[in-house]
Amino acid sequence: MEYMPNFQLHRPTSAEEAVKLRSEEPEALYVAGGTDMIVNVRRGIEQPENLIDLSGVTELKTITEDDEGLHIGAGITLNEIATNEKIKADYQAVAEAAAAVAGITHQQYGTLGGNLCLDTRCLFYNQSEWWRQSNDYCMKERGDICHVAPGGKRCFAAFSGDVAPAMLVYQAEVELVGPEGSRRIPLSEMYQNDGMNHLTFNPGELLTVVHLPKALAGSPSRYEKARIRGSIDFPLAGTAVRLEMDGKKVKDIAIALTGVNPFPQIVKGTEDYIGKAFDDASLDALRDNVRKQAKPMKTTTVAPWYRRRVIGALARRLTEELAG
Amino acid sequence: MNEIKPTQSIGVSKPLVDGPEKVSGKARYSSDFIPSDSLVGRIYRSPVSHAEIIEVDISEAQALPGVKAVITGDESDEPFGVLPIARFEYPLARDKVRYKGEPVACVAAVDVETAQKAIDLIKFKYNELPAYFTSEEAMAEGAVNIHDHREGNIERDVEFDLGETDEGLEAADLIMEETYNCAEIAQVQSEPHAAIAEYDIERDFMTVRASTQVPYYVHKMLAKTLKMEESKIRMIKPFVGGGFGCRTECLNVELICALVARAAKGTVRIVISREETFITHRGRPETDIDMKIGVKKDGTITAVDFKAIQRGGGYSGYGVVTILYAGGLMFGVYDLPAVRYRGLRVLTNTPPPGAMRGHGTTDVRYAFENLLDKIAIELDMDPIEIRRKNLLQGPKYETLNEMFINSYGLPECLDWVEKESGWKERRGKMGPYKGLGVACAHYPSGASKPVNWTGEPHATVHLKLDWDGSITLLTGAPEIGQGSTTMATQCAAEILGLDMSRFQSLTSDSKLTPKDNGSYSSRVTYMVGNASIDAATNLKNILVEAAAKKLEVKPEDVECLGEVYRAGTQDEGLTFNEVVQAALEGTGTITVKGNYDTMPESWGTKKYRGGAISGSMAYAYAAQVVEVSIDPDTFEIKVEKVWAAQDVGKALNPLSVEGQIEGSVWMGMGQAISEGTLYVNGLGITNNMLDYRVPTIVESPPIEVGIIESIDPHGPFGAKEAGETSLVAFIPALTNAIADALGVRPVDLPVTPDRLMELMENYEKTQEAAE
Repeated sequence: MEYMPNFQLHRPTSAEEAVKLRSEEPEALYVAGGTDMIVNVRRGIEQPENLIDLSGVTELKTITEDDEGLHIGAGITLNEIATNEKIKADYQAVAEAAAAVAGITHQQYGTLGGNLCLDTRCLFYNQSEWWRQSNDYCMKERGDICHVAPGGKRCFAAFSGDVAPAMLVYQAEVELVGPEGSRRIPLSEMYQNDGMNHLTFNPGELLTVVHLPKALAGSPSRYEKARIRGSIDFPLAGTAVRLEMDGKKVKDIAIALTGVNPFPQIVKGTEDYIGKAFDDASLDALRDNVRKQAKPMKTTTVAPWYRRRVIGALARRLTEELAG
Repeated sequence: MNEIKPTQSIGVSKPLVDGPEKVSGKARYSSDFIPSDSLVGRIYRSPVSHAEIIEVDISEAQALPGVKAVITGDESDEPFGVLPIARFEYPLARDKVRYKGEPVACVAAVDVETAQKAIDLIKFKYNELPAYFTSEEAMAEGAVNIHDHREGNIERDVEFDLGETDEGLEAADLIMEETYNCAEIAQVQSEPHAAIAEYDIERDFMTVRASTQVPYYVHKMLAKTLKMEESKIRMIKPFVGGGFGCRTECLNVELICALVARAAKGTVRIVISREETFITHRGRPETDIDMKIGVKKDGTITAVDFKAIQRGGGYSGYGVVTILYAGGLMFGVYDLPAVRYRGLRVLTNTPPPGAMRGHGTTDVRYAFENLLDKIAIELDMDPIEIRRKNLLQGPKYETLNEMFINSYGLPECLDWVEKESGWKERRGKMGPYKGLGVACAHYPSGASKPVNWTGEPHATVHLKLDWDGSITLLTGAPEIGQGSTTMATQCAAEILGLDMSRFQSLTSDSKLTPKDNGSYSSRVTYMVGNASIDAATNLKNILVEAAAKKLEVKPEDVECLGEVYRAGTQDEGLTFNEVVQAALEGTGTITVKGNYDTMPESWGTKKYRGGAISGSMAYAYAAQVVEVSIDPDTFEIKVEKVWAAQDVGKALNPLSVEGQIEGSVWMGMGQAISEGTLYVNGLGITNNMLDYRVPTIVESPPIEVGIIESIDPHGPFGAKEAGETSLVAFIPALTNAIADALGVRPVDLPVTPDRLMELMENYEKTQEAAE
């Protein structure tokens, strides 16, 4: 293991204090479970002089329910989400996605907020300092070029969180607290299609709560990811599907993807299926539509064409299963 | 009185004698030795793949406060290497660097941050040369020689043609051939490499602790590269977290550590990262194989013609042995009337591979068993039947390369997997995307000719018996988790009829324990086990003599029952402690030794150069059946169940044997379905445990182990190799199962889902085109 560099660790006990600390040390980083961040710190990808440890902020560790829906604190661990009876019953894909993250030990530490804010990943980026230095770095970090698409001007590092697509199909909203106060936005607006800068946060903002709407509670959903190993691996491609049927006909449908673009995205065009019954032809069309919108690049050792093929197949399979 | 019996230890499932320390966390590994005065060592590694070194400027690094020493290739001009004929590697690069990550300099400093700062201050000036990352590039016309003395970048070119291969192929009714590519793989043992070197400047004495499988070879290379007397070095192997061949030769880490400790006039500890452990490599080389087999209509093999090209990395390591094994170990599983082999070991600008578990044979056996399976399908034969058709005609059968085979349990292995897997009833009736596959393999029980020929016995074990009645077993055999200390203790305890609790052990400390060549090529059970038996027999003779004197009878009339020695059933006899007391009278503490040497008949053939490689006292055999299912949408492969039969001669410790076979299956599964190193311009892009995909416990299938005991006439209590053979058999059994499930046959390794999907789609296209 690479050695841990020195940094100042701050341990606030409230979100307000955390945000204040962050505004005093603008280069500081928030750390929750640390399962991904600390690896990046050891690799010199992040070189923070100050780390703001959120593990003591108890207000981020609650799950509450009211008429509006379910409110999950960003500090809730993935394991708590995966095993929460309410989430399992009402928002199944969310629980499945949390249970699909890395391995069981990561789920004990990793948090909802951490997984939603996960840095994008790329084979040329998630490497040691010596490695990146020997390879002239890359545009995402200290360098100028992209090794995935040489000559390109964009970064294609892939968003690889499992939970985001499951939250997206439920139209989740997020609470962001910053120096200027808090704001609430749809989760989909928290992301943008830029591997270097995929989060739309204002400086110093902290994700505190994720809201799942009551209106969609119990709407059937599933999450599945393709990976080489049944544990540890990030998704090569992952998809959440939420599908409500009215008899044989589609009442409501949403599909979201991860691992195949720099941000988790909602598949466009699914509203066309509403009011219709699924048959092989329309399921194939759905599969092809998903493939078209997934644009994996060579950010993993597994071929992009495979990831595109497989994400379509998974979306089709989950849809067919949910259609009954 | 009549109920007294010697305690039985052989054939009894025994927990490992060093288990409690490991389970409780008390075991100390190399990196756990942190003396208060120890300095931190860090290695500066080459950022380029192939270059002439112009200058390594360490002046600024040396000037940094807290830095105690900075060394470069100037520190030692003595090359090292495991094979006396191929020592071209320096602890720190001199003149040239030959792969990205090769050590160029080393810093010893008071703490890790200072050491890293010093590393950042080193200025490496070089003149870059063309670099070759594949065997093909390195062998291409006009390629620059990576080593001056290896023209065309060929480390070794092996050729033999035994029997009448051309005639055999002409006589065949069916000839099939296929080209295979097997990815380079790494062991990914749990403990990254670590060394701690204490230099005693007053005595000019060096003590080194290191994570190694071969402390004796490390000792020799320390003396060579440090230019110190061998007697001025003490080499200790603490607990080791796995070997699998990655540390079967002296590595640069321990040499660099000792060199920098001497330069710093103190103690230095180097614990390298997982990435650096991948860079140090010594795993299995990428291998390209052309395999051709000719058979008669009834499946009888008439000839085998094959070629193997191994990407050997920047230095030889065990390379010459690997390419020879790849050829020689074609023999010994089946009755082969003619075999032609061409093997090329190529030098490339990648980290050097080594002697990984299943050394030399794994990839070639994979290709052979995969192709034989294809032939069986083509001939409409049961894949088990085609194997039976070609079995050796008994254990005394002489192979064309004169292997010394005295036990051969392969037929029983095949019977066992056929029956237990329900092969006959289930195969072909499992439904779509499910299948069964079979394959066989073998592996030597140690190389009969040692790497360093000294005339000393292959193995020596000491037993020390003292006044307290306890016996200390002293062996240089490196315990690396494989159970060698338990095995040696069991052998001695069995001979003496004593409970194993009477024994303690001391292992792998050059000042205390007898020399041992090391833990590799599955030599330890066979050789050290026999030496342990010899030592215990010698001790028993002394005890019987002493008991006879005390009982006033002839030694041949003394009955040894372990805890009691007596003269006939009516005699009350002497307790063990009384016998010990009698034996110590006039002589004091007793130390006996036992030796083992191989028989010249097992030293391999002289029919071709290098024929000694693959000569062994005994060969273990395996047959395996693998059941798979494949996800029709993602082509993810699930190994549903494995039936693994291995002829281990005699299971000295069935619990340990089962563990070895299960571990072999699991490691073979990694190579088969998910593992492989990848490089981008010579930079290892999978040098971490996320991108280099070792299977997890989730992938671990149920494994039924069938232990077959053929009782080898020369093995310790009949035992043979138990830790490698089943790895070799798994890989082809898996691809053969996939072929059974899908109708399409994987050829290249690993069989990842994307490769399988591509194969299937191409297959479907050709099917459609045919229609």
